[in-house]
Order: sequence, then structure tokens, then C-alpha cells
Amino acid sequence: MTRPGQRWTTFAIWILLSLLTLLPIWWMFLVSVKQRADLFGKPSFLLDVSSMTWDNYASVITNPSFQKYMLNSLIVSTANAALVCALGLLAAYAMSRYRMKGKDNIFFWVLTNRMAPPAAFLLPLYLLYTGVFQAGEWSLFDTRIGLILLYCVLNLPFAFWLLQGIIDGIPAELDEAAYVDGASTWQVLRTIIIPLAGPGIAVTGILTWVFAWNEYLFASTLTSVNARTITTGLAEFVTVTGTNWGQMAAVAMLTLLPAALVLALVQKHIVAGLTFGAVKG
Amino acid sequence: MFMRHLATSLVALAIASPAMADFWSDAAAPYQGVTIRGVSESTPPSNYVRDVLAPQFTEATGIQVEFETTSWDQMYDKAIKDMEAGSGIYDFVYIEQDAIYSYLSRDFLVDMTQMMADNPALVNPAFDWANFTTFIDYFKDPNKNDHVFGVPMEAFIKVYLYRKDLFENPEIQASFQEKYGYDLAPATTFQQWRDIAEFFTAYGQETGQELYGTTVQAASGHPASFYEFWESVAPLYGVYDWGINQETWTASVANGGRMNSPEAVEALTFWLGLLQYAPPEATASTWDEVASSFAAGRAAQGLVYGENATWIATNAEKSSVVGNVGVALPPTAEGVMEAAQSGEGYIGYYDGGAFGIPHSSANKEAALLFMQYIAQPELQAGWAEAGGRIVLNSTYEDPKVQEIDAKTDSYFTLMKDSGALFAGAPPYPFHNQVREVSAPFIYEAIIGNLTPQEALDQMAAATEAELKNLGYTAN
Amino acid sequence: MRSSTTGWLLLAPTIAVLVLTGVLPFLYVLAISFFDWNLFAVNPEPRWAAANNFRRLVHDAEFLKSIWLTLLFTLWVVASQVILGFALARLMMRDFPFKKVFRAVHTLPLMIAPIAVGATWRLMTVPGLGPIPYYLKDWFGIDYRLSMFPDQAFASVVVMDIWHWTPFVTLTILAGLSNLPQEPVEQARIDGAQEWQIFRDIVLPAMKPVLLTTIFIRIMDALRVVDEVWMLTQGGPGAETRFIGLHIWKIVFPKTDYGYGSAMSLLTLYMTIVICWLLYAAMTARKDRAS
Repeated sequence: MTRPGQRWTTFAIWILLSLLTLLPIWWMFLVSVKQRADLFGKPSFLLDVSSMTWDNYASVITNPSFQKYMLNSLIVSTANAALVCALGLLAAYAMSRYRMKGKDNIFFWVLTNRMAPPAAFLLPLYLLYTGVFQAGEWSLFDTRIGLILLYCVLNLPFAFWLLQGIIDGIPAELDEAAYVDGASTWQVLRTIIIPLAGPGIAVTGILTWVFAWNEYLFASTLTSVNARTITTGLAEFVTVTGTNWGQMAAVAMLTLLPAALVLALVQKHIVAGLTFGAVKG
Repeated sequence: MFMRHLATSLVALAIASPAMADFWSDAAAPYQGVTIRGVSESTPPSNYVRDVLAPQFTEATGIQVEFETTSWDQMYDKAIKDMEAGSGIYDFVYIEQDAIYSYLSRDFLVDMTQMMADNPALVNPAFDWANFTTFIDYFKDPNKNDHVFGVPMEAFIKVYLYRKDLFENPEIQASFQEKYGYDLAPATTFQQWRDIAEFFTAYGQETGQELYGTTVQAASGHPASFYEFWESVAPLYGVYDWGINQETWTASVANGGRMNSPEAVEALTFWLGLLQYAPPEATASTWDEVASSFAAGRAAQGLVYGENATWIATNAEKSSVVGNVGVALPPTAEGVMEAAQSGEGYIGYYDGGAFGIPHSSANKEAALLFMQYIAQPELQAGWAEAGGRIVLNSTYEDPKVQEIDAKTDSYFTLMKDSGALFAGAPPYPFHNQVREVSAPFIYEAIIGNLTPQEALDQMAAATEAELKNLGYTAN
Repeated sequence: MRSSTTGWLLLAPTIAVLVLTGVLPFLYVLAISFFDWNLFAVNPEPRWAAANNFRRLVHDAEFLKSIWLTLLFTLWVVASQVILGFALARLMMRDFPFKKVFRAVHTLPLMIAPIAVGATWRLMTVPGLGPIPYYLKDWFGIDYRLSMFPDQAFASVVVMDIWHWTPFVTLTILAGLSNLPQEPVEQARIDGAQEWQIFRDIVLPAMKPVLLTTIFIRIMDALRVVDEVWMLTQGGPGAETRFIGLHIWKIVFPKTDYGYGSAMSLLTLYMTIVICWLLYAAMTARKDRAS
């Protein structure tokens, strides 16, 4: 359908656009492998292999706090994504298949949880975590469980919305038929919904994983030492190193790396996943 | 020669003597294997504690130390949250001099004098509060019989640094003399500060160097600019304690304060006027960037925190102006120096901090041992070399410190002789609260949205409103 | 449709978690907003203040400025992203070599943590190090200093957000466009309609639900922006990029003004919900008519 001339102009435009997209990231990479003395002066976008150094990465990776932050982030994101997908799937199934009074209001209420400016909840959550949700010496403050639960506020509405669209797309006749054959709700979910919604669940899981990985404000407020995540580590690192730009760039590169890998994984499904059920109208 | 040998052996003997070794291992015996955790700002003195003193302590006592050094904002964030929430994460925290009043008002900290009296077994026989310089007075609570709540670990003065190589270059001197009609020397008046700044900015342009007249710590969105103005510049013009009247808790001239007094306006006008002669990063500069700019040779003079003075002057790995750093007292307005000498005023910030033990700590005893361990006189010289800090009187006499003193244009001597002219932050439990409402007006003045007069008028009004909200003045 | 009891059971865990982490904090913040509470006041305990905090808010110039800046920012970024995203999605619909690679590259910023996005752009804009100030000076003679010029700071934050979030808009619109029935378009072509007419009369109306959803999500997120702005400008110079999220943070944490900060949070939350509700109503109204 596309004319050959147009084909190549489009190609050229996308080359240009991709350069614009990649430029800041490439620049950060360059800064992260430059030696301190080479940082200033006329900026060049070319990689000077001869004076390249991995020292910044080495000093970051061998830093025990950095390792701990990385591990915390992995645990928190993974656990949160799993929890959110499980809860979101059940809720979305209910919303899609059951007749319930006030369904639309529930739906909007769930969404409002994501609308709230995070700053509005910082204080009450901080006070609840440090003073109310506690048992003896133990409190939710500065724990990974605290973060895992908290990220549900941000991710559950999102997962719920995505998954509802996906389940709506599965013909209800399929599960009706199974119910007629005497299957339980759990069996229907397991044998029909989960396999059919598989790719959608995967996309939801991966996107929520990325959101949890990327979250900063709550993590910085509700943790102090033990449960700090990589994003708070990055912010902390930037302010500590002050003008040590090379190391800052290295930390930032290491922070965005997992997300980039994830992108490579879901690339194929991401567009389909992002329809939010809106396309069918 | 013999005397020197003898001295060395005596020191060795003192360190190795069984009595000493016994105290640390005996006192620490019940706490073997305990880990104490601390938090501080990532500064040269704190990093020395983490890298050198903490491992030594572990070897002597078997108590593990996890010492986290982070940024200034994060350090407060973490320490205050921990103490407020009572989560007991930290066993000792850094208390900056200007934070002690807030901490005392919230009763965050353990009374060390009391604790040592109650636990004689934990007290190093050689430890004596009288060994400390007068800086320790800031960590005593006058409402509790001057009991001590923090063991000082660093103290500096914010001095005027200048580039000796430039100031002593005969050609530059001649050209300066020709242009301004007087000899080039470290500034003692504001006019000289400004002239020198103007001169070297022009000199940098003519010679094609990245050189500017003066540093200015004028971050337009960070409290560092608030601090430079109220702690360093305004006092030089004779406006003390942020211009707040501590009897009436008012700030505006109309209500008996001095925050928007003509002297304060003059000070702010002068300080903002320096920006045109400052490196372009000045409006993004906190204390770290000011030190980096000076160390990179980008400024001819400026006010720099003392914790940076020693590394700028001696550490060739990080600084390109090693050997060329001159140290002097900052310029003052007429009468201010006399006021400082008589104890009625001060000429800048006596900066520093202490380690304190939060009530929420579960390992107070082990932490107390650590506090005493790092206060031993024989450990001070190496620490002073790394971080330019001195908290014990005896440290000034140490040969190693005197050696560094010579390399830093007598920074330590200056601190010893003139430290009394400087002062810590005023005793305000509302330090952060008033800073948060006031600092934005400094930012607005820096970017030219407000004139100095407008900025200070509005700041005084905002400060008074905040003090009223906090209950210092009646409605 | 099946019995509602099972439905509620399935919904229960979600509701429970959201009550714990969403509703409880909300009630808590609601309660605190009626008190004067600052830990470092003469009396550090909460004191009943009735509606005083809310009354103060209406006259708080800093707060109003922050709200205004946030709205302005939202308007700028969402409008730019929708226009750009639509154009890029249509470009993506064409046939060209290495399409998948380009799509992956275009999606990359979306995956990056906002705080890392801020760090990236900070490295681009630091004076003396970053290419942006250098080349603006070299090629156009523009003195670029984020810490000094409010307009530059605001524009930089907007550009950063466009870089970060346009891919999201592109992808959702692309999803919409790919699902669009082709027959009406083909028919219109056969009938001799111009491309822009097809776009205006057929594509745009059909894309309305997707567009509204996308705008809805983007507005929601733009109103709550904090991380990347904090990293790039710290809200400066002055308070020129101190958007509401950052402003509330400053009131609540460094200043420990719990009561007033809570009132501010509530009012902001209320405004966000009203804006989102209006959009949501627009979306569902259309849905109802269609079905």
C-alpha cells in the first residue's frame, strides 16, 4: 500500500526520531565510561575507545549498598507483580462476568487509587507505617513487605483495568459451557481464562513489574535503610557524589538496564496489551 | 634524635600498654559480636571514620560497626525518620550543630553525661570532656545542667580562600594596582572583594581561561544559598541569628527584628552583585559544588567550608590548585570585627557536628564505647589530615597537624586563634521550619524575581507568620 | 451473568488491599487536615483547628502558584504528546524497513525509571559538561542555565516529559489504529475523498475512545509528576518548576507541617478526581451510546 518513495522517507524520518530518542541515553553511557579528566570541554557524541574506562561501573557494582538495593528492587518488583496479577485477575473476572450492584462505581473507585497524587498519601502512609501498622518492635516501615503492599495501590488499578479488557475479550459462552459441565469457578479460571488470557497476563505482569521497579517517591519515604530500592539508591548516590558525574551515570545506566531487557521481552505483545479495552468500544 | 625515639617508644607503649588494651576489650566483652549502625553525611571526616576508625574499633573491641555515609538531605531524612518512628535502626547518628536544638526539643537523644555516670564500667578512664574545644558547648543542654548530648567529631570555620599563585603574581599585581589604585591582597572590605572579583573575571576572559572572580554558594532551589547568606554574609554586615529577635520572636524591623533591616538589604544586594563575577554554575552550587569549583581553579577567591579547605590545598588527586591556596578571615563591615572580638557578634559559621545516641537504639552501650574510642587524642591527627577537623585542644599541638597547617597556609592556626570569632547556628528548634519558609525568597532574589528589599520584607513577614503558627507568638 | 456473591468474593482481596493502602490513609489524612500539627511547634501535639488549614490554603500564594504551574505543565505535555503521538502512530502504520527495531527503540524511554530519566537529562544540561548548554551557546548564542532562567527550566521539564511519555501515546494510538476497520476508509478512497477528509470524518471519530483513554491516563500521570522534575531542577529556579507533588513533599517532610500539608493533599486529590471524573464521564457516556 505504501509507495516505495514514501517507504524510504518514512525510514529516514524514523532514523532521525530514533537518534533523538537514543541521544540522551547514549550521552549518559558516554559519561559513564569516560575518565574524570575527559568529561569537560567540547562535548563529542563519539565513543573514544582508547580512553574508555569501566571503573565507574566497577566501583558501583562492588558497593555493598548498591547490591542490597538491587536485590531489594528485584524482590519487591517481582513479588508485587505476582500479587497484583493474581488479585487483579480475580477482580477483573468478577467485574467481567458477574452481575453486581454498583459495579461502575467500584470500577471508578479502584481507578481513583491510582489518580491520587502520590504526595497526598505520603504523610498518612508514613505515619501509618511507622506508628499504626506495627506489632511490638516490628512495623511496616522500612520493610519490603510494606513496599510490596503499597505498590498495589498504584499497580492494582492498572492491572485490573488491563485484565478486564482482556477477559471481556474472551467469549463468556466458553465458561458458561464449562459451568454447565459442572466446573467450579476455580476450574474455569484455571482451564479457560488463564490459558486464553495468558499473553495479556504476561504483559500486565511485566508492565507492573516495571512500574514497581521504577517507583521512587514512596520508596524513598517509607524506607530508610533495609528496604531501600535501586531508584532511591540512584537518588541518594547522585546527591552523595555531588559532582562525580561518571559514577552517577553508571548507576543510572544500571538502573535502566533491567527495564530495557524487559522491553525486549514484551515488545511483541505490548501494543496489544495497551488497548485498555477501549478499542472494542 | 634520642628524644624523638623516646617519644615514639612512649607512644607505642601507651597504645600497646595492657591497661589500655584491657579497658576496650574488658568493657566491650558483654557486647562481643554486636553490630552498631550509624549514619552521617558523606564528608571527608565521616568517610575517615568509616574507612579507618571503625575497623580499628572493631579490632579492639569485637563490636562490628556499620557506618553509612550518605548525602546531607538523605542523612537527615533517614536519621529523623528513624528517631521519630522509634524504629531503632541507628545506634548513633550525626548531629549537625544546627540540628541539635530540634533534636533536643523532640527528646531524641540519650543524655551522655548521665549515661556515663550511671555506667562507670563503660567509661574509659582516660576520657575527659574537658579535653574538647569550646565547640562541645553547643551540644550541652542548659536546661539539663549542661549535660552533654553529643560527642563532637568535627568542627571547622567557613573561611575566605584565595588563590595565592594569582594574588602573588607580580604582573597581575601591577595590573590590578593600575586599575584600582591599591595593592592586590586578600579582601578585607566588601569593596575589595567586589573589585577583586571583577578584576579576575575580566582577567579570565582576556587570557581565555575558565577563571571567575569569586565563588558564590547561590543554589537557586537548595537551602545552601539560604545558609551562605544568613550564616556567612549577613553576619559580616552585623546582622546575626537570621535577623530574628529572640525575645519577641519577631523578624521585621517594624516589630523589633532585623531580617529586613538596611544592613541585611545591603548584605543581600552585595552578595547577589557577586553573581555576575561568579562561575556559571554558581546558581546551582551547594557547598559541594563551591568546593569543586574552587578546586578546579575556576574561582580566584570565595567563602569555602573548612571541611574542604584541607583537601583543596593538599590533595592533588582531586584538586588542581594544590599549594596555591591562601586562607584568611572574611572581609567585614565596620565595627563587626570588634563586635565579634568582644563576643557580641560573629563573622561566620562555626560549622561542625557530633555523634549522638538515639533513645530508640538497642545498643546504646556499644555505641557509647565507640563514641569514646574515636575521641582518643592519639587518633586525632590522621583524622585532621583527612578531614580538616579538630575537636580536641591537644590536636593543635600534634606535629603532624602542624605539618599540614604549614601546607594549608595555616588554616589550623587560624581556626585555633580565631575560632572564637565564629559561631554556630542560633538555638532554634524551628530551624528547618523557618528555613523552609524563608529560603524561597532568597531563591527568588537570586533569579531576579524579587529585589533584595522585597525579598527580605516578604521573608520577614513569612517568618513571623510561621513563628505564630508554631506557637512562639500569640495570635 | 452469574450470582453476585461469588463475584464479591473474587473482588474481596482487591478491595481489602486497596482499603488498607488507599482508604485508610485517605481517612487518616482527612482527620489530620482538621488539626494544627507540627512536630517542632511549641506544642508538638495535634491541636484542633477546624477548617483553618483550608482557609489558609485559599490565600497561600505558593500553593496556588504550584497548582497553576502543574496545570500549565499538564496542558503543555499532554497536548504535545497527543499530537506528536498521533503523528508518529500514523507514521508507524506505514510500511518501511526495520519497523520492529524502530518501534522497540521508540518504546525505550517508557521503560526507564522517571528518576533515571531525570538523571539522564541532568547530564545533558549540566553547564560545562552537557551538550545542550554547549551547543545552544555555540550555534545560537543562547545562554542556557536551568538554575537561572525560569522559562528555560520549565521548557526543559516539558521537553523531558515529552521525550519520556510520547511513546506511550504512540503505542496506545497505534493499538487503536491497527484495530480500526479498514472498509470505511477504503470505501471513502473509492468515493474519491481526500486523505485529510478521511482522517477528519472517519479515522478521528473512530479513534475518539482510544484518544480519550490515552488523554485520561496521561493527565492522571502528568498531574502527579515528581521524580524526574526533582532530579532535573529540584523544583527551581526559585519555585518555577515546583509542581504540586514536590510542593506537598516539602511542606510535609522538611517542614513537618502535618496538618497543613494534609489539607493541601486533600484539596489536590479533590481537584485531580474532579478533572479525571469529567474525562471518565466523557469516556463512559460515549461507550453507553455505542453499545
